[in-house]
Amino acid sequence: MTRSDFTSAAPESLHPSLWRASQLAHANTRCVDTGHATLSSQLPGGGWPSGTLIDLLVQQPGIGEMRLLRPALSACAARRIVLLQPPHPPQALAMAALGLDPAQLLWLRSTRSADALWAAEQVLRSGSCGALLFWANHVRSDSLRRLHLAAQGGETLFFMLRPLAAAQDASPAPLRLALRPAAGGLHVDFVKRRGPLREAPLFLPLGSSLLQRHAPLDRPVPAPVTARGLQPSLAH
Amino acid sequence: MALSPAAHAAGVQSGMRRGGVLMLMPEARILERSHAREAEALQAVALAMLQYTPQVALAEEATLLLDIGASLRLFGGIRRLCALVRANLQALGFTACIACAPTARGAWLLARRNAGRAVRMASLVRRLDRLPVSLLPPARPFAAWFDGIGCRRFDELQRLPRPGLQRRCGRALLDMLDAAYGIESEMFRWVQAPEHFRARLELFDRIEQADLLLAGAHHLVLQMTGWLCARQLAVERIELLLEHERGRVARPPTPIEVALAEPTWRDEHLMRLLRERLGKLVLEAPVIGIRLEARKLQAMAPPTDSLFPDPGGSEEDRVRMIELLVARLGADNVLQFLPYADYRPEVANAWVPVQHAITPSARAAQMPPDVGSLPRPSWLLAKPIALLMRDHRPFYGSPLRVASNPERIEAGWWSQTQTRDYFIAEGRDHALYWIYRERINGSGEDATPRWFLHGLFG
Repeated sequence: MTRSDFTSAAPESLHPSLWRASQLAHANTRCVDTGHATLSSQLPGGGWPSGTLIDLLVQQPGIGEMRLLRPALSACAARRIVLLQPPHPPQALAMAALGLDPAQLLWLRSTRSADALWAAEQVLRSGSCGALLFWANHVRSDSLRRLHLAAQGGETLFFMLRPLAAAQDASPAPLRLALRPAAGGLHVDFVKRRGPLREAPLFLPLGSSLLQRHAPLDRPVPAPVTARGLQPSLAH
Repeated sequence: MALSPAAHAAGVQSGMRRGGVLMLMPEARILERSHAREAEALQAVALAMLQYTPQVALAEEATLLLDIGASLRLFGGIRRLCALVRANLQALGFTACIACAPTARGAWLLARRNAGRAVRMASLVRRLDRLPVSLLPPARPFAAWFDGIGCRRFDELQRLPRPGLQRRCGRALLDMLDAAYGIESEMFRWVQAPEHFRARLELFDRIEQADLLLAGAHHLVLQMTGWLCARQLAVERIELLLEHERGRVARPPTPIEVALAEPTWRDEHLMRLLRERLGKLVLEAPVIGIRLEARKLQAMAPPTDSLFPDPGGSEEDRVRMIELLVARLGADNVLQFLPYADYRPEVANAWVPVQHAITPSARAAQMPPDVGSLPRPSWLLAKPIALLMRDHRPFYGSPLRVASNPERIEAGWWSQTQTRDYFIAEGRDHALYWIYRERINGSGEDATPRWFLHGLFG
């Protein structure tokens, strides 16, 4: 084989885990479709990789992270979805409105962070849950590595939701996204992915159905207090 | 006489007198041999060994005979079985010499000499031929005579004329020799598992930290495993009783109850649950003994007959994971949703411990009919936050802009009245909040609207 053959051959034809810096990598695990076509096309494998640690860095809880994960979570809702240490009590009716069966939700609370890490590891090792969402503020990188290893033993979708400040720290997660709220949706920054560097945030539309849900109702005009802050474009 | 490695290093040898030992090693602890406790220990090991075979017999000189002919396939071969037995014995806190042979007496002789495994008859005969004659208990009174005629090993013993040997040394010696070489069969009295299981362990010291009790608990759980296997039972509820030292006041033993959703007869899951429970326990007084009782038993369930394993583990795995989580985090921290038909959002969002059995029909009956049309936030604050007012607008980090029509909730006149108008509001950073305005304010003078933040749209 001559030298030119080496350079012209596509790296993925040499070995499935090789890719050029300008292209997205192949996923070597099963991927769950994100349900947002624009986001899926930007992820290696075309979806959330199962059995790996996925870092979601959120600006604050309650910016649309559950609406972002809704299609993936409802895809694996036949099995349990574990909410570990969420920042506020979860509202099961809202989860049901998102299309998740409330009977499959499990809410774990813990007082110490060591207990939370232990519980996450047990859930991942058992492999009997569809998804694990773990909210944590300060996690050491060796604990992250341990959780990533535990996740690799199974097929559980594993998201860690951490504050934006954690983007500065190193993480073994192969996929790290930063989420910031935007008008009518979310800005997604790709902090780390197996693929080309992307500077510009990706805009995902999310919440339009939430706001216009009551718009077509045949009701008298709301009380003057409420009308004050109303945008003309939204008040039909 | 037995001695520890430390004593051996100090120069103590077996056969020494008490004074001599104390002179060499003043800190030595000299203990009387207790035959009763030895028998008790042997019985405990026999009970634990019942998990490998139902045919366990006690033999002379502190040995146990196990008939493993029928267990080899189940436990994956002779090496693996030996390793399992050795690990169990270690967990029980004993050391043992393990030997295997095609005949029971042959195995007994090899074990007494710690001469390893002989799987075939030919290799057993080869090994037996090299053993010293004094290993046979009936030959010991005649040791000097055997020595005098130059008969030291088994093969030399076999070459002596049998009638003369029987006249001099008695029938027992020949019987034992024939049994070892497989010429004659032997009868055993197998160990019977008792009707009820109750095991007790006296600890060597006063123990003040609960997690140190784990080794002792493992000792008892292993005995229970053997007992369960022998009686074909599975345990559903066990109780570990920690006996305290009798101080100024008599203290009742501390019970630790472990209830299982899925009956088991294996020790791994029980030990994991006990480890978490003991890890959380704070002892009020030092413990001197532990007792294990099997409270609720069931017949052993046959293994599942499905050919392929379910993806994501079986229902059993799921139940085990939840039990393990409950054991460490506590039942109040592992929660499931219990819907409750009420208009007030806090009341409708009830979470109960996961052990409560809720039927799907009961759940469906309490769910609102059209759940998709309700604008509910993913995160409901445990306590509503009163919002500041700036320029007649509610303020939370930034001024909030109301972005939806109101949803009026007015209920609970029978206990806690709520008269609220809920709105979806948007902050300047475009995050969505669920806020409400109290409709009934106090008296006339402070009639300014009061706003609260109640939820976040995740």
